[in-house]
Amino acid sequence: MPARYEQAITLTGDLHARPAGALAVAAAKFSSAVSLTAGTSSADAKSVLGVMGLGATSGQQVTVAAQGPDAEEAVAAILAILAEATRVGA
Amino acid sequence: MSLDARVGIVLVSHSAELAEGTAALAAQISGGTVAVIPAGGTDEGQLGTSAAKVQRAVKLADSGAGVVILPDLGSAVLTVRALLGEADDLPTPVELADAPFVEGAVAATVAAAGGGDIEAVFAAAEEARHARKV
Repeated sequence: MPARYEQAITLTGDLHARPAGALAVAAAKFSSAVSLTAGTSSADAKSVLGVMGLGATSGQQVTVAAQGPDAEEAVAAILAILAEATRVGA
Repeated sequence: MSLDARVGIVLVSHSAELAEGTAALAAQISGGTVAVIPAGGTDEGQLGTSAAKVQRAVKLADSGAGVVILPDLGSAVLTVRALLGEADDLPTPVELADAPFVEGAVAATVAAAGGGDIEAVFAAAEEARHARKV
């Protein structure tokens, strides 16, 4: 059974179009399924429109979950992008 | 097809400014690694579409992995279809996507930047029809 990992992060900025794009491009490089959950909404991390549609804002907790052979690496990569790209001004 | 060839995107709009602005937006959101080429307005710089502009854009957009074309409104579709039917020197594959212009352009360009093949990029564009923004 493929591994499943998940980890939460509190956003330090709003999840705007540019970080959403960077996130979707990065998620596409993994074979694992990757999802983002913010509040009651979830999105496929590989769908830029889905990620933007979450409307996740600064201070909100976002959970990154991945399932598949490279799940751990995928979660780490997406968390890094969320931490960096949602900084104020990004 | 080279190892790092990306699917190219062509944006066909009745307005040159609309095509250029949408291309700039999609390029920035996707990180600038994909050829997203605007083809807007007529050859005379008026509102309308131009088969010659689309043809040039398709050739510019292709890097060996194919091209997905997004039209803004119905009659842009006629221009693209006529071109695809007549021109015999276009790169292949070339696909015409039925998608909302801005959302489709962004989704397709991001999918191409992620290394998606022509089918994945085309699907990302068409799935944009179902994306809710509110």
